[in-house]
Amino acid sequence: MIKEIKEPVIEVHNLTVVYDRKPAIWNIDFTLPKGQIIGVMGPNGSGKSTLLKAIMGVVNANTGWVKVAGEDIEGVRKRVSYVPQRQSVDWDFPATVWDVVAMGRFALKGVFKKLNADDRSVIEESLKKVNMYTFANRQISQLSGGQQQRAFLARALAQEADIYLMDEPFAGVDASTEEAIVQLLKQMKKEGKTLLVVHHDLHTAQNYFEWLVLLNTRLVASGPLTEVFDTALLEDTYGGTLTTLTKVAELLDKNDMPMRHK
Amino acid sequence: MSSDFWIILTACLVAALNALLGSFLVLRRMAMIGDAISHAVLPGIVIAYFLSQSRATLPMLVGAAATGLLVTALIEFLNRKVKLQSDASIGISFTFLFAVGVIMISYFGTNIDLDQECVLYGEIAYVPMYNIAVGGMDLGPRQVWIVGSVLLFSIVSVIWGYNRLAVTTFDPEFAASVGINVVFWQFFLMGGVSLSTVVSFESVGAVLVIALLVGPAATAYLITNRLTPMIVMAIIAGVMASVIGYYLAKYLNASIAGAISVVIGIQFAITIVIVSIRRRYNRLKYEPSQNAPV
Repeated sequence: MIKEIKEPVIEVHNLTVVYDRKPAIWNIDFTLPKGQIIGVMGPNGSGKSTLLKAIMGVVNANTGWVKVAGEDIEGVRKRVSYVPQRQSVDWDFPATVWDVVAMGRFALKGVFKKLNADDRSVIEESLKKVNMYTFANRQISQLSGGQQQRAFLARALAQEADIYLMDEPFAGVDASTEEAIVQLLKQMKKEGKTLLVVHHDLHTAQNYFEWLVLLNTRLVASGPLTEVFDTALLEDTYGGTLTTLTKVAELLDKNDMPMRHK
Repeated sequence: MSSDFWIILTACLVAALNALLGSFLVLRRMAMIGDAISHAVLPGIVIAYFLSQSRATLPMLVGAAATGLLVTALIEFLNRKVKLQSDASIGISFTFLFAVGVIMISYFGTNIDLDQECVLYGEIAYVPMYNIAVGGMDLGPRQVWIVGSVLLFSIVSVIWGYNRLAVTTFDPEFAASVGINVVFWQFFLMGGVSLSTVVSFESVGAVLVIALLVGPAATAYLITNRLTPMIVMAIIAGVMASVIGYYLAKYLNASIAGAISVVIGIQFAITIVIVSIRRRYNRLKYEPSQNAPV
């Protein structure tokens, strides 16, 4: 099930990325609608992160091309914000929360430019939106996982982009942070932003996303959630592992236990 | 001016230069690449010496910077393309280049006024013997001017590229996503390390320069929590160790570079002790309110 749309915000054509002779993503071809919260799902090692990095041009594609807002990524970088996986950086780096968020502003400026009053107020606003303003002067090594994720999101907000690519923003955060992030995403969607979010929890996916991309090195499906969230397609994506997942979910439902108790 | 003054000044300049660049190396987990560069510049220096038939500074700087960047590229190549582990890539690259340099020195030995001993350990005590004079006026040792100008150049470069260096060090993937050329800034830094290594060579040698690159930066890392204070603190620690080290060497009648390195080690050890005591004290202080809402 691959639904093509007209005037897509992101268009990926025949995209293949190979690491060390093993393909991470293979011949991916899809179009994504503007102004939606889009989930990218698939098992571990299915190429979700690679897809995001390839869209941003952080990794080179072996074949194929990507167009963002109808242009090559180099022409629209300032309109696109990428949030890497939280675990991809060293949180013992000597910086405060403010310093990290400020990187989102410096990104838009030339070498050797200072932050002006406008930049500072954008940073402040971004911190407030993720409830981290009171932590602005805290050293990043003193943050919890959820706070680290919020700091990353604030840095992305400070870029004031139109399109956001987020790699596992819900990984290893507590329930309250997850809820706060979901609310933030919905707010951003209301402001007309497009959000592409890598996610791996099937149970919450239905509540978070309007459009779903299912990936398992190859593209399994891309389309509105209602059409894509289908047992056959999900099984195709996750292979045999899905049956175990479903069984566990049914079991939990019967006992009326909260699904995401952490 | 007394030779004490010139030796201490040279040591301080060398320490400040290495602390400045070493701070970035430590944060990038590339301290051993600094070690690799400091050894691998040797063949570059010998070739530059051989071609220019002099110990003029400029050819040496060019030769060293070229081999420094070469070894960085070689390590990157072995690590990324050949898929060799990074420590193995470093180990094989720099020992090879260093050994080539050693062979060159011994082969051309009779014609070349480069001393292996000096290459390995440096001799900062000889610094005041090579003064430069303009129009009969003594301007102080050549080394002071060379190291001083490289330090000035490095400070200006780091201030110019500060934000880019910071973001490519902390989060290279994010930096690439906003269009910053991560590889350029990597080589920018490595070029700087190559330059600083070669000008530190005559003073402290190839082995001890790594102590100056890593030690003060590591000490500063333990006691600061932002990048700028860390760099400033690293420079202060390096300068302090140079002064104390000089007098220690004088008192013991020992190698100056060796004494400075020992002081850097002691400095680091004392810092660890202070930091862990402080941590324990803070924990005790906050214990009763640990469960208070955040």
